[in-house]
Amino acid sequence: MKVLYFALLRDVTGKKEEEWREPEPTVGHLLHALVARYGHGFERWVLKDGELWNLVIILVNGRDVRQLQNLKTPLAPDDTVVIFPPVGGG
Amino acid sequence: MAKMLTINANKCTGCRNCELACSMAHEGVFRPEATRVHVYTWEREGFSVPMMCQHCRDAACVSVCAPHALTRDPVTGWVNLDHDKCIGCKMCVQACPFGCSVWDEQTHKILKCDNCGGDPACAKMCPNHAIEWTDDLVATRTRKRAFAEKFKDAFSE
Amino acid sequence: MHGWNGQIVRVNLSTGNVSKQPLDPGLARDYIGARGLGTKIMTDEVDPAVDALSPENKLIFAPGPLTGTYAPSGGRYNVVTKGALTGAIAAANSGGVWGAELKFAGYDALIVEGKAPKPVYLWIKDAAVEIRDATSVWGKTVPDTTDAIRAETDDDAKIACIGPAGENLVRFACIMNDLHRAAGRSGVGAVMGSKNLKAIAVVGTGAVTCADNAAFERAVMKAREKIQKHPVGGTGLRLYGTNVLTNILNQVGGYPTKNFQDGHFPTADKIGGESLAANQLQRPKGCYSCIISCGRVTKVTNKKFAGEGEGPEYETSWGFGGDCGIDDLDAITKANYLCNEYGLDTITMGGTIACAMELYERGVITREDTGGLALEWGNAEAMVEATRLTGTGEGFGKKLGLGSFRLAESYGMPELSMSVKKQEMPAYDARAIQGIGLNYATANCGAAHVRGYTISPEILGTPMKVDKDAIEGKAQLVITFQNLTAAIDASGGCLFTTFGIGADEYAEMMTGVTGTTYTPQDFMTCGDRIWNLERMFNLKAGLSAKDDCLPPRLLKEPIKTGASKGSVSRVPELLPEYYSLRGWDPKGVPTHDKLHALGLAV
Repeated sequence: MKVLYFALLRDVTGKKEEEWREPEPTVGHLLHALVARYGHGFERWVLKDGELWNLVIILVNGRDVRQLQNLKTPLAPDDTVVIFPPVGGG
Repeated sequence: MAKMLTINANKCTGCRNCELACSMAHEGVFRPEATRVHVYTWEREGFSVPMMCQHCRDAACVSVCAPHALTRDPVTGWVNLDHDKCIGCKMCVQACPFGCSVWDEQTHKILKCDNCGGDPACAKMCPNHAIEWTDDLVATRTRKRAFAEKFKDAFSE
Repeated sequence: MHGWNGQIVRVNLSTGNVSKQPLDPGLARDYIGARGLGTKIMTDEVDPAVDALSPENKLIFAPGPLTGTYAPSGGRYNVVTKGALTGAIAAANSGGVWGAELKFAGYDALIVEGKAPKPVYLWIKDAAVEIRDATSVWGKTVPDTTDAIRAETDDDAKIACIGPAGENLVRFACIMNDLHRAAGRSGVGAVMGSKNLKAIAVVGTGAVTCADNAAFERAVMKAREKIQKHPVGGTGLRLYGTNVLTNILNQVGGYPTKNFQDGHFPTADKIGGESLAANQLQRPKGCYSCIISCGRVTKVTNKKFAGEGEGPEYETSWGFGGDCGIDDLDAITKANYLCNEYGLDTITMGGTIACAMELYERGVITREDTGGLALEWGNAEAMVEATRLTGTGEGFGKKLGLGSFRLAESYGMPELSMSVKKQEMPAYDARAIQGIGLNYATANCGAAHVRGYTISPEILGTPMKVDKDAIEGKAQLVITFQNLTAAIDASGGCLFTTFGIGADEYAEMMTGVTGTTYTPQDFMTCGDRIWNLERMFNLKAGLSAKDDCLPPRLLKEPIKTGASKGSVSRVPELLPEYYSLRGWDPKGVPTHDKLHALGLAV
């Protein structure tokens, strides 16, 4: 699956996007794998006490996971996941 | 170790929270004319600088003050103004090479930064770390280190 | 009075008379200031049917009670008038430092009436108000005007002025202050130009006082902490500015592209906040008492579009960017600088060029009509040149200066103007986001995002996440945002504080500074009152429910590509509920009961 990073997540991961080849059944699995790869600098912008920070925008194929099943939203191998840390305004 | 107000002009956004904090702390109203810190903005370049008394070791204002209202405390390093002794001659305004002794025409007082007695309002209110209340050794070292990092980046593979 | 100065100054440019009057405390309490006070003065003193560009229109500059205090990001002012672009009530909101200076000079509002026999500027130093000859600066750009007037008045004077666009009565000319900040929309700059008023220079050496210093300080510190803790107001906007929204809107499929022909722009990343930060940003900038610092001090070194200044904001980047099919950030930023120098609203400028590009695409206008400008999608040079010509009033720029509605109408195709009440929609596609569409349709000043910024809940998820595609609950959401916004605008506060605080914190700050007790409900009621007063002005100006509508494209042409492909706006389904919840009749007219409850019944 493709993962796209925006705003300061680009600095944290050093990438604008990447092909994620591990199978991840849900958004939660993917996020925990990304945290394992990129560490606390990544985690502090997406998780709060282990839960999805409600201000993070995560889209699966353009749809906001907060309208789907949050961390339990299922993922398929050819999905595109977009992650925005809480930055926007106006 | 003494403390001082460090000015990081590159971080100043021109918001003037420092002026408002200083005015409220000393005068109890918001009157930017009556502050001890002033911000200067060059709009075309988008650059702003806050300015306040630097509490010089060899203070010109102290040497011209006839009633000795301005004195330097050797322990804190601050130049203090005793308003009761001040006669309002404005010689300190003439003498300060940085323009940081200011005459307030409305209250007929000299306005000069007094570090708020050790808890400067401007540093507390500044949202950008453009004014910081730091140990005077730290003040010189952090900027030096920040610039030294550019060499590290230049030489990394 | 505290917070408020308790004084209004009135300048009649026809007679040269300057007079001062006290600010009625009851009026101050009920309308707060800025947008509210200005709307009340317009209601009481101006026939809504007047021509916006006639001497009978009035131009009101008003800060709020928080302006000039350390309320976080609370230093704004409004320009209130009848808009030259829209023929509706206009309240253009601006930051910078000019509004605070007017407070320190001792005023809660400056009312400009009539028309000067030749170009003039106002020089206000505390109690002294002079009308001075502006013949030598008429024709100058905003930066040159600022320098010249400072040389005649005071090096530290704060200047609000129009550029050549306002002088030439360009329908969407704006008023600039402190070089880079704009009272942008609805053609308030044209109204100023129609009065032969070039600039207002202010020096204020007085004080703004607090009723209860300790209570106000507590309220302010609490508010500051909440804003700083919120990642948007506390970090995100300082790092990336508003332009960070480009990629967000594009990824959700709500980024209007090519005059709203689509909702997705494949190369949007080249013109977003990340690119701006990497390639153009010098440092952040903040307005008076701001703790957020969303301002962008920028520089373009590319010789083709070289310049320096502030911006672009998201709406500007979009208007000159995706809306025109352009992905060259240097060109966009150059067009932004030109708008600041000539005094043009960037959203309307971008939307008008996009409309012209569609007319050109369809062959309705040709290179002969445009004086050689190839207004093709993606043509960055043509877009920048079109902006410059609009600023100078030359060639095709004269027609562009009408705004997209009058331009398209002149070619018999008004439906191609992406506007409401003749004011161009900004950078959020109403087909992809239902609530913002309702806000566009019902905002009293014409299409505007700031009037009820439901993008916060619908896209960003703050203060809570709502489904952007749903219509349940949207009417009430829009009303709540519109009322809160009106009250915050009236107080002098910046809307970006709402990433962190709301009516509770504003009520505390208002009570502390003015000494008048405001509950959160009182604060919201003031907003509701201001909204209804604006609506009544518009109804008397000849607008009606038929003007609460989006362009047919958004109702009938689904988005073609991207994450919101297939969507249309459902505003017509939302309007009846909106009117009803507002306490209006099915024709969108406030009922007598509603007006009575707000103290507005005649």
